This record gives sequence, C-alpha cells and structure tokens, in this order.
Amino acid sequence: MVLKLHGFFFSTCTLRVATVLKEYNVPFEFVAVKLEEHGHKAPEYMQIQPFGQVPYIDDDGFVLYESRAICRYIAAKYRSNLAGPTLLPDVSTEVEKYARFEQAASVEAWNFDFYASTAAAELVYNPGYHGIPTNEVQAKKLIDSLNKTLDVYDQILAKQKYVAGDDITLVDLFHITYGNFLHTKGFINLEDEKRPNVRRWWRDITSRPSWQAVKDGLSPSS
Amino acid sequence: MVLKFYGHPFSTCSLRVATILKEYNVPFELIVVDVSKGAHKAPDYLKIQPFGQVPYIDDDGFILYESRAIGRYIAAKHRASGPALLPDVNTETQKYAKFEQAASVEAWNFDFYASKAAAELIFKPMRGLTPDEARAKELLESLENNLDVYDKILASQKYVAGDDITLADLFHISYGNLLHSAKHINLEDTKRPNVARWWKDITSRPSWQAVKGGVSSSA
Repeated sequence: MVLKLHGFFFSTCTLRVATVLKEYNVPFEFVAVKLEEHGHKAPEYMQIQPFGQVPYIDDDGFVLYESRAICRYIAAKYRSNLAGPTLLPDVSTEVEKYARFEQAASVEAWNFDFYASTAAAELVYNPGYHGIPTNEVQAKKLIDSLNKTLDVYDQILAKQKYVAGDDITLVDLFHITYGNFLHTKGFINLEDEKRPNVRRWWRDITSRPSWQAVKDGLSPSS
Repeated sequence: MVLKFYGHPFSTCSLRVATILKEYNVPFELIVVDVSKGAHKAPDYLKIQPFGQVPYIDDDGFILYESRAIGRYIAAKHRASGPALLPDVNTETQKYAKFEQAASVEAWNFDFYASKAAAELIFKPMRGLTPDEARAKELLESLENNLDVYDKILASQKYVAGDDITLADLFHISYGNLLHSAKHINLEDTKRPNVARWWKDITSRPSWQAVKGGVSSSA
C-alpha cells in the first residue's frame, strides 16, 4: 500500500518529510489535515498523534510521527533507492561518521531550529493565526541568536562541505524548511556575502530537485 | 587512552552524558570546564567546540559534542558491553524509528520547555537576575500538558519508545530531575500514575544514582 503522509500542505515539518521522500523517490499519498478546522486537534487525529501535531506517516500500517524521526526511517528503509551515498551514515560500519551526523543533527535542533521555529512563531504565526501581536524584543533576541549560530556555521563550513562533513546528509536537508521560511520573508539572510560558506551551502542544498519539487506546497496526489 | 570528558560536575548536559558512560561502564577522566569563569567561551575552547557549549568528549582523538550525539555514539561503540539502549537501524528499523520518534519528542515536547523553564527559574537567580514569572508559568503549563500526554502513552507501553528502555528515556533525567527536585513540576504526581511509575524506574538505575550528586572521574 502506498505510504500516506498526513500533514498541512505548506507546513515546515510536513515539507521536511516530503523533501526526503522525494530524495528517495518514495511514492506517497499526501493526506491534507485541515489546519483551518484544527484538524490536528480533533479526537480521531489525536488517537494517532497524541500531541496534536503534524505530520505523521502511515507506511502500510506502521505509524510514525516527528519529522526528523520519519526522515531517518525513510533513509534507513529505502537506503537502496539512492544511486549515490547514503544520507544517513551506517552506525554499524562507520560509527564516527554516524556520531558526527548526530552531532550536526543536535546542532540543527538546539542551535538553529530552536531559534528559527520560535522566531517564526513570534513573527508570523502568532500575529497571523493566533491574534497575538509579535513581542519585538523577544523576536530580536531570537534572530540575533540565530545569526550568531550562522556565524559559527560559516566557520565550520569553511573547512567542510556540509554540516556533518564532506558528504551531504539528512541534517543539511533538515534546515531547509525553517531556513527558507525566515529567509524568504526577509528575517534572516542565508545568502549574506559576509558568510560566504553559509551562502555556498544554502544555495547547494536548496537547488536539489527534492526541495524544488515541494517548496511551493503539497497537493493530495502521489 | 582513557576517554576525556570535558564538562561540569553539575551541568544537566554533562550529567546526561555521564549517565550513559556509566550504563556502559566506560572509564573516563573528567576535565572540569569552569563555566562560571567563562572557560567555555575562551578562544582555545572555541577551537574545539565552536558554539562555546559543554560538554564534549575526546575519545582517543575523536572529538564529539552535543550530549545526545555523544550518548548515541557511546551506546553504538560499546554495544557489546552494555544494555541495548539504541535499536539497530538495519535489523530492527521500526524499533529504531520509534526510538528516534521518542527522542524527538523528548527534545521538542519535553526539553524545549523544561530547559527554558529551568533557565528562568533556576539559572537566572543563580546569576543574580530576576526570573520572568509569567513566561516561566507558560512554559511549565506547556510541559504539564505534554506530561499528561506522556501518561497516556505510558499507559500502554513501559518506556517512551516501547516496552524496552532506550537512550530516549535517559535523556529526560537531568532536566526532569532539576525541575522536580526544585518542585517546579511533580514527576511522581499520583494524577499521572504511569509517568510516576516510569520516572521512579528510570531514576532508580545505578547509572543515574552514581552521577546524580555530581560527575567525577572514574577510571
């Protein structure tokens, strides 16, 4: 049975999963959860995803949520779909490469997305969807912290091509959705020439066909 | 060469790593990074950990930072000599996926709120700053709501990733303990009997008992 991806057509976390499904050429059916009707908080939805969050997948009966877990699962299960190197280092044959991958993944979570997702909430979701005005002081702190992280990224990316080493991995792709969200709205500049290595990296990862295929949103189809 | 552990005896992230080192009986030398004196922001330190954070390890020349990455590395490398806390990605892919799901929940639905609440209520006063009480209250409410969900999940399985304990359970201990012992949350609340059962189980493990009073070298 074809894999089902349940999410919002334009949600950052849903698009994160869709990007990786495209990388691995996994056919999937997108099942739209209706954000405007709070479909993710409906009792039937919360029977499956008890935190009331999107997305989740149903892979022929195997249900999984948390976008980064789903991406690791796709990379593990469909490893042989890729012509090129794996996006998830094999812990049993290359433990140090795997460790560096998990280090980069933790950095993406705690030093990038921690600020990026909260800033997105403060600057866009709160005023746009919840009727809560932006706390400008808080928003500035978050963007400043994110920019400090990006300055460190520039040092790291001066010595290696991607965030976990010289090979692209899932972790590079994890950055795209929230990075793109803030960059296209002008809150951060991932192509700032003062950070030439970040710029080089950003252009590289966002030019991949997988992201190009999903960046404008998903529609219910395989 | 014995593993070198650059951290702080009482830091939550150092305690997280130390617990896992103890699970596998990995001998280590603790080299204290004096964060109160800003040692983690010194140029020599930043050459190794460019974000200026603790801890990191030097395992016979292999440097690694981020406590949860270090935990996975230790569990993978020492698999043969300790409990199976990290499911095998190749031979038990679905179990591995559920582990990563639980680990992601720990990060985004537990620690996201717990660490920020601890920053407001515990670390700010330690630095002579005034906590933002309103913000702390919001954070704790979100954490409490998520613990209610944990109680539902733990009603039908023993641990957060399934019926076997994994690293994801252990990741919760250091911040959970920090807020629980300061009475900002109650992880033994009888209104959440499954969380209480789970919390008592994981915190009774010898690994946590060995480090909860502070990390020190073991070799």
